Amino acid sequence: MDKQEFLDKVAQSVIDSDEELAEQLAKQALEEGMDPLEVINKGYVVGIKQVGDMFECGELFLPELIQSAEAVKKATEILNEAIAGGEEKKAKGKVLIATVEGDIHDIGKAIVVSLLVANGFDVVDMGRDVPVADIIAKAEEFGAQVIGTSALLTTTMVRQQELEKALVEKGLKGKFKTVVGGAPVTVRWAEKIGADAYAENAGEGVNKIMQLLEG
Amino acid sequence: MVVTRMGDGSFITMTRDEVLRDVEEGVADAVKRGKIEPLSSDEIEHIVDICCRPQKFVSVEKGNELVLTYDSGTLKVTRLGIPIGMPQILQLYERVFGADSLELAYVHYSFKPIKSIVPEEQYAVAETSLVTTAPLLYGAMPNLPLYTKPDGPCENAAELLPMGKIEEAKRAQEEAAEYAIKDMVFVSSGVYEAGADGIDFDTTAAAGDAEFYATLKATEILREKYPDMAIEIGMAGEFVLGFHGSIEYDGVRLAGLYPHKQVGLAEKAGASVFGAVVNTNSSRTFPWNLGRAVTFCKACREAANIPVHANVGMGVGAVPLVMTPPIDCVSRASTAMAEVGKMDGL
Repeated sequence: MDKQEFLDKVAQSVIDSDEELAEQLAKQALEEGMDPLEVINKGYVVGIKQVGDMFECGELFLPELIQSAEAVKKATEILNEAIAGGEEKKAKGKVLIATVEGDIHDIGKAIVVSLLVANGFDVVDMGRDVPVADIIAKAEEFGAQVIGTSALLTTTMVRQQELEKALVEKGLKGKFKTVVGGAPVTVRWAEKIGADAYAENAGEGVNKIMQLLEG
Repeated sequence: MVVTRMGDGSFITMTRDEVLRDVEEGVADAVKRGKIEPLSSDEIEHIVDICCRPQKFVSVEKGNELVLTYDSGTLKVTRLGIPIGMPQILQLYERVFGADSLELAYVHYSFKPIKSIVPEEQYAVAETSLVTTAPLLYGAMPNLPLYTKPDGPCENAAELLPMGKIEEAKRAQEEAAEYAIKDMVFVSSGVYEAGADGIDFDTTAAAGDAEFYATLKATEILREKYPDMAIEIGMAGEFVLGFHGSIEYDGVRLAGLYPHKQVGLAEKAGASVFGAVVNTNSSRTFPWNLGRAVTFCKACREAANIPVHANVGMGVGAVPLVMTPPIDCVSRASTAMAEVGKMDGL
Protein backbone atom coordinates (compact mmCIF):
# COMPACT_ATOMS: atom_id res chain seq x y z
CA MET A 1 0.00 0.00 0.00
CA ASP A 2 1.51 3.37 -0.99
CA LYS A 3 1.27 6.46 1.22
CA GLN A 4 -1.77 7.95 -0.49
CA GLU A 5 -3.65 4.67 -0.26
CA PHE A 6 -2.82 4.51 3.42
CA LEU A 7 -4.03 8.09 4.00
CA ASP A 8 -7.25 7.33 2.08
CA LYS A 9 -7.78 4.30 4.31
CA VAL A 10 -7.28 6.52 7.36
CA ALA A 11 -9.88 9.01 6.06
CA GLN A 12 -12.28 6.17 5.26
CA SER A 13 -11.98 4.76 8.79
CA VAL A 14 -13.24 8.14 10.04
CA ILE A 15 -16.08 8.26 7.50
CA ASP A 16 -17.10 4.73 8.55
CA SER A 17 -16.95 5.79 12.23
CA ASP A 18 -14.63 2.80 12.74
CA GLU A 19 -12.90 3.71 15.98
CA GLU A 20 -10.93 0.47 16.20
CA LEU A 21 -9.50 0.74 12.69
CA ALA A 22 -8.74 4.45 13.13
CA GLU A 23 -6.65 3.67 16.23
CA GLN A 24 -4.98 0.67 14.58
CA LEU A 25 -3.96 2.79 11.57
CA ALA A 26 -2.48 5.45 13.86
CA LYS A 27 -0.29 2.80 15.51
CA GLN A 28 0.64 1.36 12.10
CA ALA A 29 1.65 4.81 10.84
CA LEU A 30 4.07 5.20 13.76
CA GLU A 31 5.46 1.70 13.29
CA GLU A 32 6.14 2.47 9.63
CA GLY A 33 7.86 5.75 10.52
CA MET A 34 5.35 8.06 8.89
CA ASP A 35 5.15 11.75 9.84
CA PRO A 36 2.38 11.89 12.49
CA LEU A 37 1.38 15.45 11.55
CA GLU A 38 0.97 14.48 7.91
CA VAL A 39 -1.19 11.50 8.87
CA ILE A 40 -3.36 13.76 11.01
CA ASN A 41 -3.74 16.51 8.42
CA LYS A 42 -4.00 14.41 5.26
CA GLY A 43 -5.84 11.45 6.75
CA TYR A 44 -7.91 12.10 9.84
CA VAL A 45 -8.71 15.76 9.12
CA VAL A 46 -9.70 14.93 5.54
CA GLY A 47 -12.01 12.20 6.88
CA ILE A 48 -13.71 14.36 9.51
CA LYS A 49 -14.19 17.16 6.99
CA GLN A 50 -15.98 14.76 4.68
CA VAL A 51 -18.09 13.55 7.59
CA GLY A 52 -19.09 17.18 8.21
CA ASP A 53 -20.06 17.60 4.57
CA MET A 54 -22.12 14.39 4.63
CA PHE A 55 -23.85 15.54 7.81
CA GLU A 56 -24.65 18.85 6.13
CA CYS A 57 -26.21 17.01 3.18
CA GLY A 58 -28.25 14.70 5.41
CA GLU A 59 -26.36 11.60 4.32
CA LEU A 60 -25.04 10.89 7.81
CA PHE A 61 -26.51 11.67 11.22
CA LEU A 62 -25.55 12.92 14.64
CA PRO A 63 -24.63 9.59 16.30
CA GLU A 64 -22.32 8.75 13.37
CA LEU A 65 -20.83 12.22 13.44
CA ILE A 66 -20.03 11.83 17.12
CA GLN A 67 -18.58 8.35 16.64
CA SER A 68 -16.37 9.68 13.85
CA ALA A 69 -15.21 12.56 16.04
CA GLU A 70 -14.43 10.09 18.81
CA ALA A 71 -12.41 7.94 16.38
CA VAL A 72 -10.38 10.99 15.33
CA LYS A 73 -9.83 11.99 18.95
CA LYS A 74 -8.50 8.58 19.98
CA ALA A 75 -6.30 8.12 16.91
CA THR A 76 -4.81 11.61 17.10
CA GLU A 77 -4.05 11.11 20.80
CA ILE A 78 -1.77 8.23 19.77
CA LEU A 79 -0.10 10.32 17.06
CA ASN A 80 0.19 13.44 19.23
CA GLU A 81 2.28 11.52 21.74
CA ALA A 82 4.83 10.85 19.02
CA ILE A 83 5.01 14.43 17.76
CA ALA A 84 8.40 15.99 18.58
CA GLY A 85 8.44 17.70 21.96
CA GLY A 86 5.22 15.96 22.88
CA GLU A 87 3.29 19.09 21.90
CA GLU A 88 -0.31 18.30 21.25
CA LYS A 89 -2.19 19.81 18.38
CA LYS A 90 -3.76 22.95 19.85
CA ALA A 91 -7.54 23.41 19.95
CA LYS A 92 -8.84 25.68 17.20
CA GLY A 93 -10.45 27.97 19.72
CA LYS A 94 -12.46 28.19 22.94
CA VAL A 95 -16.20 28.43 22.50
CA LEU A 96 -18.93 28.75 25.10
CA ILE A 97 -22.41 27.67 24.04
CA ALA A 98 -25.76 28.09 25.80
CA THR A 99 -29.48 28.18 25.18
CA VAL A 100 -30.75 31.46 26.62
CA GLU A 101 -32.80 31.87 29.79
CA GLY A 102 -36.44 30.87 29.51
CA ASP A 103 -35.75 28.56 26.60
CA ILE A 104 -35.55 24.82 27.18
CA HIS A 105 -34.73 23.76 23.62
CA ASP A 106 -31.37 22.09 23.35
CA ILE A 107 -31.35 19.75 20.36
CA GLY A 108 -29.99 22.30 17.89
CA LYS A 109 -27.40 23.39 20.42
CA ALA A 110 -26.31 19.76 20.91
CA ILE A 111 -25.67 19.48 17.18
CA VAL A 112 -23.60 22.67 17.17
CA VAL A 113 -21.57 21.44 20.16
CA SER A 114 -20.94 18.07 18.49
CA LEU A 115 -19.84 19.69 15.24
CA LEU A 116 -17.53 22.12 17.04
CA VAL A 117 -15.91 19.30 19.02
CA ALA A 118 -15.57 17.24 15.83
CA ASN A 119 -13.78 20.20 14.26
CA GLY A 120 -11.26 20.48 17.08
CA PHE A 121 -12.70 23.30 19.21
CA ASP A 122 -12.54 23.38 22.98
CA VAL A 123 -16.21 23.78 23.94
CA VAL A 124 -18.08 24.49 27.16
CA ASP A 125 -21.77 23.65 26.86
CA MET A 126 -23.73 25.47 29.58
CA GLY A 127 -26.96 23.72 28.70
CA ARG A 128 -30.34 25.37 28.43
CA ASP A 129 -32.24 28.10 30.25
CA VAL A 130 -29.02 29.94 31.13
CA PRO A 131 -29.17 33.54 32.49
CA VAL A 132 -27.05 36.21 30.80
CA ALA A 133 -25.02 36.86 33.98
CA ASP A 134 -24.06 33.18 34.21
CA ILE A 135 -23.00 33.12 30.56
CA ILE A 136 -20.69 36.09 31.04
CA ALA A 137 -19.24 34.76 34.30
CA LYS A 138 -18.50 31.37 32.74
CA ALA A 139 -17.02 32.95 29.61
CA GLU A 140 -14.59 34.90 31.79
CA GLU A 141 -13.67 31.82 33.83
CA PHE A 142 -13.23 29.59 30.77
CA GLY A 143 -11.39 32.23 28.77
CA ALA A 144 -13.82 31.85 25.91
CA GLN A 145 -13.04 33.52 22.60
CA VAL A 146 -16.55 33.07 21.27
CA ILE A 147 -19.96 32.98 22.95
CA GLY A 148 -22.68 31.24 20.96
CA THR A 149 -26.31 31.49 22.05
CA SER A 150 -29.37 29.69 20.79
CA ALA A 151 -33.02 30.73 21.07
CA LEU A 152 -35.89 28.76 19.60
CA LEU A 153 -38.69 31.12 20.57
CA THR A 154 -39.58 34.64 19.53
CA THR A 155 -40.21 35.29 23.21
CA THR A 156 -36.70 34.27 24.27
CA MET A 157 -34.56 35.70 21.48
CA VAL A 158 -34.57 39.03 23.36
CA ARG A 159 -32.13 37.41 25.79
CA GLN A 160 -29.54 37.46 23.01
CA GLN A 161 -30.04 41.22 22.86
CA GLU A 162 -29.66 41.42 26.65
CA LEU A 163 -26.35 39.57 26.39
CA GLU A 164 -25.05 42.09 23.85
CA LYS A 165 -26.12 44.99 26.07
CA ALA A 166 -24.54 43.42 29.13
CA LEU A 167 -21.26 42.83 27.29
CA VAL A 168 -21.19 46.48 26.21
CA GLU A 169 -22.02 47.73 29.72
CA LYS A 170 -19.27 45.61 31.26
CA GLY A 171 -16.75 46.70 28.63
CA LEU A 172 -16.42 43.10 27.39
CA LYS A 173 -17.83 43.51 23.91
CA GLY A 174 -14.47 43.25 22.20
CA LYS A 175 -13.24 40.46 24.41
CA PHE A 176 -15.76 37.84 23.33
CA LYS A 177 -17.07 37.42 19.80
CA THR A 178 -20.77 36.52 19.73
CA VAL A 179 -22.71 34.23 17.41
CA VAL A 180 -26.49 33.87 17.48
CA GLY A 181 -28.71 31.16 16.08
CA GLY A 182 -32.06 29.42 16.52
CA ALA A 183 -35.27 28.99 14.56
CA PRO A 184 -36.63 32.58 14.70
CA VAL A 185 -33.21 34.26 14.56
CA THR A 186 -32.11 35.95 11.34
CA VAL A 187 -29.15 37.90 10.06
CA ARG A 188 -31.28 41.03 10.42
CA TRP A 189 -31.77 40.25 14.12
CA ALA A 190 -28.04 39.68 14.58
CA GLU A 191 -27.28 43.05 12.99
CA LYS A 192 -29.96 44.79 15.04
CA ILE A 193 -28.66 43.57 18.39
CA GLY A 194 -24.98 43.93 17.49
CA ALA A 195 -23.97 40.27 17.46
CA ASP A 196 -20.78 39.52 15.56
CA ALA A 197 -22.27 36.73 13.48
CA TYR A 198 -25.43 34.83 12.66
CA ALA A 199 -25.53 31.15 11.74
CA GLU A 200 -28.40 29.62 9.79
CA ASN A 201 -27.48 26.07 10.83
CA ALA A 202 -24.86 24.07 12.75
CA GLY A 203 -22.45 23.72 9.84
CA GLU A 204 -22.58 27.43 9.16
CA GLY A 205 -22.06 28.03 12.88
CA VAL A 206 -18.71 26.24 12.76
CA ASN A 207 -17.65 28.18 9.65
CA LYS A 208 -18.70 31.52 11.13
CA ILE A 209 -16.79 30.82 14.34
CA MET A 210 -13.70 29.90 12.34
CA GLN A 211 -14.02 33.16 10.40
CA LEU A 212 -14.44 35.17 13.60
CA LEU A 213 -11.32 33.65 15.09
CA GLU A 214 -9.32 34.21 11.92
CA GLY A 215 -10.54 37.81 11.68
CA MET B 1 -37.94 46.10 -11.10
CA VAL B 2 -39.69 43.55 -8.91
CA VAL B 3 -40.17 44.38 -5.25
CA THR B 4 -39.87 41.23 -3.19
CA ARG B 5 -38.29 40.14 0.08
CA MET B 6 -35.50 38.20 1.66
CA GLY B 7 -36.36 35.18 3.80
CA ASP B 8 -36.01 37.41 6.87
CA GLY B 9 -38.76 39.69 5.55
CA SER B 10 -36.64 42.66 4.48
CA PHE B 11 -37.58 44.30 1.16
CA ILE B 12 -35.33 43.93 -1.87
CA THR B 13 -35.67 44.71 -5.55
CA MET B 14 -34.73 42.30 -8.31
CA THR B 15 -34.97 42.21 -12.08
CA ARG B 16 -37.18 39.55 -13.65
CA ASP B 17 -34.04 37.71 -14.77
CA GLU B 18 -32.71 37.71 -11.22
CA VAL B 19 -36.03 36.33 -9.97
CA LEU B 20 -35.85 33.60 -12.60
CA ARG B 21 -32.27 32.75 -11.62
CA ASP B 22 -33.19 32.51 -7.93
CA VAL B 23 -36.26 30.37 -8.57
CA GLU B 24 -34.14 28.03 -10.69
CA GLU B 25 -31.48 27.85 -7.99
CA GLY B 26 -34.11 27.11 -5.33
CA VAL B 27 -35.52 24.32 -7.49
CA ALA B 28 -32.01 22.93 -8.03
CA ASP B 29 -31.34 22.93 -4.29
CA ALA B 30 -34.50 20.90 -3.61
CA VAL B 31 -33.61 18.48 -6.41
CA LYS B 32 -30.11 18.00 -5.04
CA ARG B 33 -31.12 17.54 -1.42
CA GLY B 34 -34.30 15.52 -1.92
CA LYS B 35 -33.14 13.62 -5.01
CA ILE B 36 -36.44 14.52 -6.64
CA GLU B 37 -37.57 15.67 -10.07
CA PRO B 38 -37.18 19.36 -10.93
CA LEU B 39 -40.09 21.58 -11.95
CA SER B 40 -40.62 22.01 -15.67
CA SER B 41 -39.61 25.28 -17.36
CA ASP B 42 -43.32 26.20 -17.66
CA GLU B 43 -43.79 25.66 -13.94
CA ILE B 44 -40.72 27.73 -13.15
CA GLU B 45 -42.05 30.51 -15.40
CA HIS B 46 -45.37 30.34 -13.58
CA ILE B 47 -43.62 30.83 -10.22
CA VAL B 48 -41.60 33.72 -11.65
CA ASP B 49 -44.84 35.26 -12.92
CA ILE B 50 -46.43 34.90 -9.46
CA CYS B 51 -43.38 36.58 -7.87
CA CYS B 52 -43.32 39.42 -10.40
CA ARG B 53 -46.99 40.43 -10.35
CA PRO B 54 -47.25 44.05 -9.16
CA GLN B 55 -50.22 43.47 -6.84
CA LYS B 56 -49.62 43.34 -3.11
CA PHE B 57 -52.01 40.38 -2.80
CA VAL B 58 -52.22 37.73 -5.48
CA SER B 59 -54.50 34.74 -5.70
CA VAL B 60 -55.43 31.70 -7.74
CA GLU B 61 -57.53 31.54 -10.86
CA LYS B 62 -61.14 30.53 -10.25
CA GLY B 63 -61.33 26.80 -9.77
CA ASN B 64 -57.89 26.47 -8.22
CA GLU B 65 -59.01 27.25 -4.67
CA LEU B 66 -57.78 24.95 -1.94
CA VAL B 67 -59.10 23.59 1.32
CA LEU B 68 -57.95 26.00 4.01
CA THR B 69 -57.00 24.73 7.44
CA TYR B 70 -55.28 26.30 10.43
CA ASP B 71 -53.23 24.61 13.11
CA SER B 72 -53.37 25.59 16.78
CA GLY B 73 -56.29 27.85 15.89
CA THR B 74 -57.51 28.63 19.37
CA LEU B 75 -54.06 29.67 20.54
CA LYS B 76 -53.49 32.31 17.90
CA VAL B 77 -56.40 34.48 18.95
CA THR B 78 -55.73 33.95 22.64
CA ARG B 79 -52.19 35.25 22.13
CA LEU B 80 -53.62 38.56 20.94
CA GLY B 81 -55.07 39.08 24.41
CA ILE B 82 -58.67 39.00 23.25
CA PRO B 83 -60.81 37.65 26.11
CA ILE B 84 -62.80 35.04 24.24
CA GLY B 85 -63.52 31.35 24.76
CA MET B 86 -62.37 28.50 22.56
CA PRO B 87 -65.75 27.73 20.94
CA GLN B 88 -66.17 31.39 19.97
CA ILE B 89 -62.68 31.54 18.51
CA LEU B 90 -63.43 28.56 16.33
CA GLN B 91 -66.73 30.13 15.27
CA LEU B 92 -64.66 33.11 14.08
CA TYR B 93 -62.38 30.80 12.10
CA GLU B 94 -65.37 29.10 10.52
CA ARG B 95 -67.56 32.12 9.85
CA VAL B 96 -65.09 34.99 9.41
CA PHE B 97 -61.75 33.55 8.30
CA GLY B 98 -63.19 30.97 5.90
CA ALA B 99 -61.53 27.96 7.49
CA ASP B 100 -62.61 24.61 6.09
CA SER B 101 -61.58 22.73 9.20
CA LEU B 102 -61.16 23.83 12.80
CA GLU B 103 -58.57 22.95 15.36
CA LEU B 104 -59.09 23.15 19.06
CA ALA B 105 -55.92 23.33 21.11
CA TYR B 106 -54.83 23.81 24.70
CA VAL B 107 -52.38 26.61 25.39
CA HIS B 108 -49.45 24.32 26.17
CA TYR B 109 -50.06 22.46 22.89
CA SER B 110 -48.25 19.25 23.89
CA PHE B 111 -49.77 15.86 24.65
CA LYS B 112 -47.95 15.33 27.94
CA PRO B 113 -49.49 18.25 29.89
CA ILE B 114 -52.87 17.69 28.25
CA LYS B 115 -53.25 14.14 29.55
CA SER B 116 -54.01 15.45 33.03
CA ILE B 117 -56.77 17.78 31.78
CA VAL B 118 -58.45 15.54 29.22
CA PRO B 119 -61.89 15.84 30.91
CA GLU B 120 -61.73 19.63 30.54
CA GLU B 121 -60.68 19.36 26.92
CA GLN B 122 -63.48 16.87 26.29
CA TYR B 123 -65.92 19.47 27.57
CA ALA B 124 -64.44 22.12 25.23
CA VAL B 125 -64.66 19.69 22.29
CA ALA B 126 -68.26 18.82 23.05
CA GLU B 127 -69.23 22.47 23.51
CA THR B 128 -67.49 23.52 20.26
CA SER B 129 -68.99 20.72 18.24
CA LEU B 130 -72.45 21.96 19.22
CA VAL B 131 -71.86 25.44 17.76
CA THR B 132 -69.76 24.75 14.66
CA THR B 133 -70.32 22.71 11.51
CA ALA B 134 -66.83 22.38 9.97
CA PRO B 135 -64.78 19.27 10.77
CA LEU B 136 -63.32 19.70 14.24
CA LEU B 137 -59.79 18.47 14.92
CA TYR B 138 -57.99 18.48 18.24
CA GLY B 139 -54.34 19.46 17.85
CA ALA B 140 -51.16 19.12 19.88
CA MET B 141 -47.47 18.45 19.45
CA PRO B 142 -45.86 15.08 20.26
CA ASN B 143 -43.01 17.09 21.88
CA LEU B 144 -40.67 14.25 22.83
CA PRO B 145 -38.25 16.40 24.88
CA LEU B 146 -40.94 16.82 27.56
CA TYR B 147 -40.28 13.18 28.48
CA THR B 148 -36.58 13.80 29.12
CA LYS B 149 -34.76 15.27 32.08
CA PRO B 150 -35.29 17.74 33.66
CA ASP B 151 -38.89 17.78 32.38
CA GLY B 152 -39.48 14.04 32.32
CA PRO B 153 -38.27 10.64 33.49
CA CYS B 154 -35.92 9.71 30.62
CA GLU B 155 -32.28 10.67 30.21
CA ASN B 156 -31.69 13.65 27.92
CA ALA B 157 -30.18 12.65 24.57
CA ALA B 158 -29.20 16.26 23.89
CA GLU B 159 -26.85 16.01 26.87
CA LEU B 160 -25.72 12.43 26.29
CA LEU B 161 -24.82 12.74 22.61
CA PRO B 162 -22.19 15.50 22.91
CA MET B 163 -20.58 13.36 25.65
CA GLY B 164 -20.28 10.50 23.17
CA LYS B 165 -22.82 8.32 25.02
CA ILE B 166 -24.49 7.20 21.84
CA GLU B 167 -26.14 3.95 22.90
CA GLU B 168 -27.47 5.58 26.08
CA ALA B 169 -28.85 8.47 24.00
CA LYS B 170 -30.58 6.04 21.66
CA ARG B 171 -32.12 4.07 24.51
CA ALA B 172 -33.32 7.29 26.17
CA GLN B 173 -35.07 8.37 22.98
CA GLU B 174 -36.69 4.97 22.52
CA GLU B 175 -37.95 5.09 26.10
CA ALA B 176 -39.28 8.63 25.63
CA ALA B 177 -41.03 7.54 22.44
CA GLU B 178 -42.94 4.84 24.33
CA TYR B 179 -44.18 7.41 26.86
CA ALA B 180 -45.17 9.76 24.05
CA ILE B 181 -47.10 7.05 22.21
CA LYS B 182 -49.15 6.30 25.34
CA ASP B 183 -50.02 9.96 25.85
CA MET B 184 -50.87 10.57 22.20
CA VAL B 185 -53.20 7.59 22.12
CA PHE B 186 -54.77 8.45 25.49
CA VAL B 187 -55.48 12.11 24.70
CA SER B 188 -56.56 11.46 21.11
CA SER B 189 -58.97 8.73 22.24
CA GLY B 190 -60.46 11.03 24.85
CA VAL B 191 -61.13 13.96 22.57
CA TYR B 192 -62.36 11.74 19.73
CA GLU B 193 -64.84 10.03 22.02
CA ALA B 194 -66.02 13.46 23.19
CA GLY B 195 -66.98 14.40 19.65
CA ALA B 196 -63.88 15.63 17.78
CA ASP B 197 -63.72 14.47 14.17
CA GLY B 198 -60.04 13.80 14.40
CA ILE B 199 -56.59 14.66 15.68
CA ASP B 200 -53.75 16.76 14.33
CA PHE B 201 -50.26 15.66 15.31
CA ASP B 202 -48.65 19.03 14.78
CA THR B 203 -44.94 19.89 14.51
CA THR B 204 -44.14 16.21 14.25
CA ALA B 205 -40.48 15.16 14.38
CA ALA B 206 -39.33 18.47 15.84
CA ALA B 207 -37.11 16.36 18.10
CA GLY B 208 -36.04 14.10 15.26
CA ASP B 209 -36.55 10.55 14.08
CA ALA B 210 -37.63 9.03 17.41
CA GLU B 211 -40.45 11.56 17.65
CA PHE B 212 -41.54 10.76 14.09
CA TYR B 213 -41.50 7.07 15.04
CA ALA B 214 -43.69 7.75 18.09
CA THR B 215 -46.19 9.67 15.98
CA LEU B 216 -46.39 6.95 13.35
CA LYS B 217 -46.89 4.27 16.00
CA ALA B 218 -49.60 6.33 17.75
CA THR B 219 -51.30 6.83 14.39
CA GLU B 220 -51.19 3.10 13.73
CA ILE B 221 -52.78 2.29 17.11
CA LEU B 222 -55.46 4.95 16.73
CA ARG B 223 -56.32 3.85 13.19
CA GLU B 224 -56.89 0.32 14.40
CA LYS B 225 -58.91 1.54 17.37
CA TYR B 226 -61.00 4.12 15.46
CA PRO B 227 -61.26 3.27 11.73
CA ASP B 228 -63.18 6.49 10.96
CA MET B 229 -61.03 8.93 12.90
CA ALA B 230 -59.39 11.71 10.84
CA ILE B 231 -55.67 11.83 11.58
CA GLU B 232 -53.44 14.59 10.27
CA ILE B 233 -49.68 14.33 10.59
CA GLY B 234 -48.17 17.78 10.20
CA MET B 235 -44.40 17.93 10.13
CA ALA B 236 -42.00 20.28 11.91
CA GLY B 237 -39.49 20.60 9.09
CA GLU B 238 -38.58 19.34 5.65
CA PHE B 239 -36.01 16.85 6.90
CA VAL B 240 -36.29 14.22 9.64
CA LEU B 241 -33.38 14.94 11.92
CA GLY B 242 -31.30 11.85 12.73
CA PHE B 243 -31.07 12.48 16.43
CA HIS B 244 -31.41 8.76 17.09
CA GLY B 245 -30.00 7.86 13.72
CA SER B 246 -31.11 4.27 13.27
CA ILE B 247 -34.72 4.04 14.39
CA GLU B 248 -36.99 2.51 11.76
CA TYR B 249 -40.68 2.31 10.98
CA ASP B 250 -41.94 -0.48 8.73
CA GLY B 251 -38.33 -1.34 7.86
CA VAL B 252 -37.48 2.21 6.76
CA ARG B 253 -34.80 4.26 8.52
CA LEU B 254 -36.52 7.50 9.47
CA ALA B 255 -33.49 9.77 9.69
CA GLY B 256 -32.96 11.94 6.66
CA LEU B 257 -36.36 11.49 5.03
CA TYR B 258 -37.73 14.39 2.98
CA PRO B 259 -41.49 15.07 2.50
CA HIS B 260 -41.98 12.75 -0.49
CA LYS B 261 -40.67 9.83 1.61
CA GLN B 262 -42.32 10.95 4.87
CA VAL B 263 -45.78 10.91 3.34
CA GLY B 264 -45.58 7.22 2.37
CA LEU B 265 -44.93 6.21 5.96
CA ALA B 266 -47.67 8.51 7.26
CA GLU B 267 -50.01 6.81 4.84
CA LYS B 268 -48.94 3.32 5.91
CA ALA B 269 -49.47 4.23 9.56
CA GLY B 270 -53.03 5.31 8.78
CA ALA B 271 -52.92 9.10 8.45
CA SER B 272 -55.74 10.76 6.50
CA VAL B 273 -53.95 14.04 5.73
CA PHE B 274 -50.24 14.90 5.55
CA GLY B 275 -48.94 18.37 6.33
CA ALA B 276 -45.77 18.93 4.31
CA VAL B 277 -43.28 21.45 5.64
CA VAL B 278 -40.38 23.12 3.86
CA ASN B 279 -38.24 25.46 5.93
CA THR B 280 -37.55 29.01 4.81
CA ASN B 281 -33.91 29.99 4.57
CA SER B 282 -33.86 33.51 6.00
CA SER B 283 -30.62 34.38 4.20
CA ARG B 284 -32.02 33.65 0.73
CA THR B 285 -34.63 35.50 -1.32
CA PHE B 286 -38.36 34.79 -1.41
CA PRO B 287 -38.17 33.58 -5.06
CA TRP B 288 -35.37 31.14 -4.12
CA ASN B 289 -37.35 29.83 -1.17
CA LEU B 290 -40.54 29.60 -3.23
CA GLY B 291 -38.93 27.60 -6.03
CA ARG B 292 -37.46 25.26 -3.47
CA ALA B 293 -40.60 24.84 -1.35
CA VAL B 294 -42.88 24.18 -4.31
CA THR B 295 -40.46 21.59 -5.75
CA PHE B 296 -40.43 19.64 -2.49
CA CYS B 297 -44.21 19.88 -2.00
CA LYS B 298 -45.02 18.90 -5.58
CA ALA B 299 -42.82 15.79 -5.24
CA CYS B 300 -44.62 14.98 -1.99
CA ARG B 301 -48.04 15.37 -3.61
CA GLU B 302 -47.05 13.14 -6.49
CA ALA B 303 -45.86 10.43 -4.10
CA ALA B 304 -49.01 10.58 -1.95
CA ASN B 305 -52.29 8.72 -2.00
CA ILE B 306 -53.73 10.86 0.78
CA PRO B 307 -54.39 14.62 0.68
CA VAL B 308 -51.31 16.81 1.20
CA HIS B 309 -51.65 20.23 2.84
CA ALA B 310 -48.61 22.51 2.54
CA ASN B 311 -47.68 24.52 5.62
CA VAL B 312 -47.59 28.18 4.61
CA GLY B 313 -46.80 30.33 7.63
CA MET B 314 -44.02 31.99 9.58
CA GLY B 315 -40.72 30.50 8.42
CA VAL B 316 -42.18 27.68 6.34
CA GLY B 317 -43.46 27.20 2.78
CA ALA B 318 -41.29 30.12 1.55
CA VAL B 319 -42.96 32.58 3.93
CA PRO B 320 -40.37 34.89 5.55
CA LEU B 321 -39.33 34.44 9.12
CA VAL B 322 -41.13 37.39 10.72
CA MET B 323 -43.66 37.61 13.53
CA THR B 324 -46.48 38.74 11.24
CA PRO B 325 -46.08 36.93 7.94
CA PRO B 326 -46.30 39.51 5.12
CA ILE B 327 -49.38 39.08 2.98
CA ASP B 328 -47.49 39.71 -0.29
CA CYS B 329 -45.44 36.57 0.37
CA VAL B 330 -48.17 34.49 2.03
CA SER B 331 -50.55 35.05 -0.89
CA ARG B 332 -47.85 34.32 -3.49
CA ALA B 333 -46.70 31.18 -1.70
CA SER B 334 -50.30 29.98 -1.37
CA THR B 335 -50.97 30.64 -5.04
CA ALA B 336 -47.84 28.79 -6.16
CA MET B 337 -48.61 25.85 -3.86
CA ALA B 338 -52.08 25.58 -5.42
CA GLU B 339 -51.28 26.15 -9.07
CA VAL B 340 -47.80 24.60 -9.38
CA GLY B 341 -47.47 22.38 -6.32
CA LYS B 342 -50.97 20.97 -6.90
CA MET B 343 -51.61 20.77 -3.18
CA ASP B 344 -54.92 19.55 -1.78
CA GLY B 345 -54.97 22.16 0.92
CA LEU B 346 -53.03 24.69 2.93
